[in-house]
Amino acid sequence: VTTVLLVGAGAVGARTARQLVDTPGIDQLLIAARSSERASELAGAIGKDTRAVTLDADVPAEVAAVAIAIPGRAAARFAARALAAGVPAAAVTDDEEGLAGLLALDDRAQKAGVLVAAGCALVPGLGDVLARHAADGLDEADEVHVARVGVAGPECVAALRKARRDRPREWHDGAWLTPRRLGSQLVWFPDPIGARECEVVAPGVELLRESLPEVRHASIRLGEPPLRRARVAALTGRSLDDGWGGARIEVWGWRGRAREAVVYGVIERPEVAAGTVLAVTTARLAGLLPQVTLRGTRGGVRALGSLVDPAPFLAELARRGVKAATFEGVATA
Amino acid sequence: VRTFRRGLLVGLLAVLIGLVVRLRGKGEVPPTTGGWRELEGPDFR
Repeated sequence: VTTVLLVGAGAVGARTARQLVDTPGIDQLLIAARSSERASELAGAIGKDTRAVTLDADVPAEVAAVAIAIPGRAAARFAARALAAGVPAAAVTDDEEGLAGLLALDDRAQKAGVLVAAGCALVPGLGDVLARHAADGLDEADEVHVARVGVAGPECVAALRKARRDRPREWHDGAWLTPRRLGSQLVWFPDPIGARECEVVAPGVELLRESLPEVRHASIRLGEPPLRRARVAALTGRSLDDGWGGARIEVWGWRGRAREAVVYGVIERPEVAAGTVLAVTTARLAGLLPQVTLRGTRGGVRALGSLVDPAPFLAELARRGVKAATFEGVATA
Repeated sequence: VRTFRRGLLVGLLAVLIGLVVRLRGKGEVPPTTGGWRELEGPDFR
């Protein structure tokens, strides 16, 4: 009997729960959340072989893997509890505090020989895997730039605003740079999103660099959070929240003697993309989905791009409806 | 009162200039050849 524990019952937690119960081999799903009422509601809505448990309890002995769909330091605290129980975990957290807390667990995870997948969302997460896939298609990759627009719930909006306010960080010529705000850059996403202004931020860039250790330049840009009021959007010229999110991954390098760029894009509802990425990663850590092969099972806190083989992981996501696209062509102006 | 009027005039002019710049600054999307193609079976090998 394979049991998985899901922590979080928000926008991402609900999608993760649905994806987990639809995964062959998962016999039981336990749901814990900061609000026990929401955990019970979600467990009731999902139905079969699902029940709510309290967040304060230790990780139950029968749990094979933990999916953490909560933000901030709380995610790192729960990952530490999973580690203490010797259970692998995957966390969706994309904010700076949460990611720092998770990365700080690396020594403990290595000593315990337990895997913790950090940043299992759209970006970081799927963006890292697509970047690794793009780099694998080149003879030599030396530059990666990832951009994201869209948010998965109100806490994600707060994290995005904070990331755009704080000092950015990028990997430049083999060293970390924390320049002053660099200003925004227009980034083209697949339709229906199109062009959006995005700014360089710090959260997630360490995971991107871990996924592509060979590159000399790495950066992550985030677009401003979409607006919910049509009138404000019209007056400010900013985009109205239509629920869509997107990622654009651009990897530069060499194929033979030619310099080339591989560009991938994803358009999906951010909570759906994050929920699917988190569920597939957790199921794999629980020993299921053998077709999704891992790049080594040595314990530690790992970026998704360095943990999974990109091709089978992307194929599994595509089978579940989260599809990526590649840009074929060049700008003529 | 005169200073206040001048301030108001300067503010109004700034808003008008800002609006003109914003409206005129909206360029066309640069033309591209090609487009987005969904990743399929061979791309996952």
